[in-house]
Amino acid sequence: MSRVTAAGPARKWLPALLAGLLLLPLSGCWDNKDVNHRALPIVMGIGKAETGYHVYLQVPEVTKKGLVTRMVNGTGPTVSEVIDRLSNNLENEVDLLHLKLIMFDRSYAETGLKDSITAFVRARDISPKTMIAISRDPIGRFFEEYEMAVKRNQMLLYDYFEKNADWNPEIAQTTVWQMFRSINSFTRDVAVPILGIGTSTPIDITGAAIIRNGRMVDRIAPSEALLVNIFNGRGAHGKIEVMNHATVLVLSNRMTHKSYIRGNRAVLNSTISIKVSLMETKGSPSADQIEQELEQVLEARFAKLLTKVKKQGADILGIGQLFRTKIPREKLAGWRDNYLPFMEVNVNVKATVQNEGNLK
Amino acid sequence: MDKSLQVISMYVLTHMGLIFLLYPADMISSMGVGHWLAILFGYALHVTVISVYMKGLGYFPGEDLIDILLKWGRTAATLLLLPVAAYLFIILVSTTRACSEVITIIFLSGTPLWATAALLIFISTYMANIGSEALMRTGAMLACLSIPLVIFLLVMSFQNADWRYFFPAIDKKAATFSFLLNRDYIKSLFAFAGGFLFLGFIPSQVSYKRKKILRGSVLLIPLYIISVYGPIMTFGQNTASKFQFPFIMNIDTVEIDWLMFDRITMFFLLSMIMFNILFLAIVLWQAVRIIHRPFQRLKPVYPLLALSLIVFVVCISIPGWVFIEQLFWWNTILRFYAFTIIPAVTLTIGFRRGRKGSVAP
Repeated sequence: MSRVTAAGPARKWLPALLAGLLLLPLSGCWDNKDVNHRALPIVMGIGKAETGYHVYLQVPEVTKKGLVTRMVNGTGPTVSEVIDRLSNNLENEVDLLHLKLIMFDRSYAETGLKDSITAFVRARDISPKTMIAISRDPIGRFFEEYEMAVKRNQMLLYDYFEKNADWNPEIAQTTVWQMFRSINSFTRDVAVPILGIGTSTPIDITGAAIIRNGRMVDRIAPSEALLVNIFNGRGAHGKIEVMNHATVLVLSNRMTHKSYIRGNRAVLNSTISIKVSLMETKGSPSADQIEQELEQVLEARFAKLLTKVKKQGADILGIGQLFRTKIPREKLAGWRDNYLPFMEVNVNVKATVQNEGNLK
Repeated sequence: MDKSLQVISMYVLTHMGLIFLLYPADMISSMGVGHWLAILFGYALHVTVISVYMKGLGYFPGEDLIDILLKWGRTAATLLLLPVAAYLFIILVSTTRACSEVITIIFLSGTPLWATAALLIFISTYMANIGSEALMRTGAMLACLSIPLVIFLLVMSFQNADWRYFFPAIDKKAATFSFLLNRDYIKSLFAFAGGFLFLGFIPSQVSYKRKKILRGSVLLIPLYIISVYGPIMTFGQNTASKFQFPFIMNIDTVEIDWLMFDRITMFFLLSMIMFNILFLAIVLWQAVRIIHRPFQRLKPVYPLLALSLIVFVVCISIPGWVFIEQLFWWNTILRFYAFTIIPAVTLTIGFRRGRKGSVAP
């Protein structure tokens, strides 16, 4: 019924003309900014200043000599204000769209990152997939030394966390959205890698921070971070495990959990089956011996890690997830305080040497 | 000719636009556990209503809702249709505003609202002007273009899912259906009640088979479930309830190394905006059918242009998001009316006719 009948050439041309006008709003000109007028930082560092925050940005720039990076920093009451000011002072507009890594100062992480993370998630100018790390040294010093290291050999900090680049299973891996989940979820916390300036290598990864509800409460060694990754199913492929007699390569791992509530306590029996390949041996230990040793070492490490987890009530292993079927929701809200510190966890490791490499 | 496929694709696409943008936020915050029960309950309502509606329409082949209601006389028809027109008008205003607000929040933060709103309204007005057959065909074409992409993204949205977040599966509160009184839940029913009325306006132009539509509506179940459980399984209910657009956030967390695009959210969002434009177009078209009826001598394009202009003006004079939410809430009464009274009346008229044995040939 409602078809417009073409009554003359004007009728025909009018829609076409109007459709042409659509191109104007369609281009979204208001948000258009040329790529070479944008500064796209890849690393951002945030530390507490006396009033507000100290923000560092690593901005790559294309010059005739190739890609160089430049460090800029500023202080202000809020992170976004500092970025605005930097944006004004740089010749380009800062656009955080391609930010890959956010470094937090350790002292700031210890007071809690809730506000920053919530702001990032709210404002959406930072991708929720951005990685998070914590600096061991004061963040100002870290970036000074880092800048020098960058000048010596072009390297990109975030490569350490990229799954298809430099990441290895001893490095904890946490993104902005996971951190946000840790702040709000009942049963999930995260471990965040701690970085320092290295002596022979540019970066030294010294383990991971245990985060509870967005606040750093404790730290763990790299070998424990590996266990966290194993537990969270992030595969232990390619990891080397050092013992008294041998070094092995973890090929695969599989876990079965049995969780139940006894009285008022949560009980978890976990069996971790791990398959390894031999890499280096001292003397000639038998496969049985290596398996036994590996089991002992891993069980002891798990016990140590669990003591920390229970003491802080920070569920970096996501154990609470296993109890979601057992505990009603109202009680689950108090998981970190009422269950986790008092729970009983029995970890049983079963190691198998899958092969012995090239030699018999 | 049977055009059921076109009608089904229209039906599914318009619902998708409704489902993935605003529905998950209301649904997730409406209850702590047991969302699946609430979703399935809403869906059961939806299917009951559309089958009653289509059954009623089925007594009058080739006639649309307005013709049917006119059988009760002019006054009754006017009284019955006025709230529907108001309902459609509020849908138009709130959907347009919500869509342009989504665009502003998520990607074009510098673009003024009037520009995006104008674009949305202009395109949908143009589509509504061309008529229902063209609209249906557009729906079919959009389905071909974007459904593969959307399905891919829906599958990928489970990349970070932890299925344990599904539990606790149910609790006493959910099992006693206490969510029915929850304000957020009542608001969330818009995704079930918003898009079905058009089935009553097209029969005179596009014929379809009732059974096929009902079968097609089964496609919606996984969509409703994914839109809510994607975010819940990724973030957990407590975290997901903090988001304005939980499903968009869920897509944001997906990392695909081998894809050249970093933020696949854009593709998803643009598909959804496209579906919403389609939805706006069909709602505009319905509203104009109703308004135009008393002024048959007028060309339908005039009421259409007037309506779009009013929608545009009202839409940009809304102060903020809180008001949109309020509008959604006020519209609940009209929605309830359109969801219950209209199908019931249609069936009643049809039933009486059928008993008299004077079914129109």
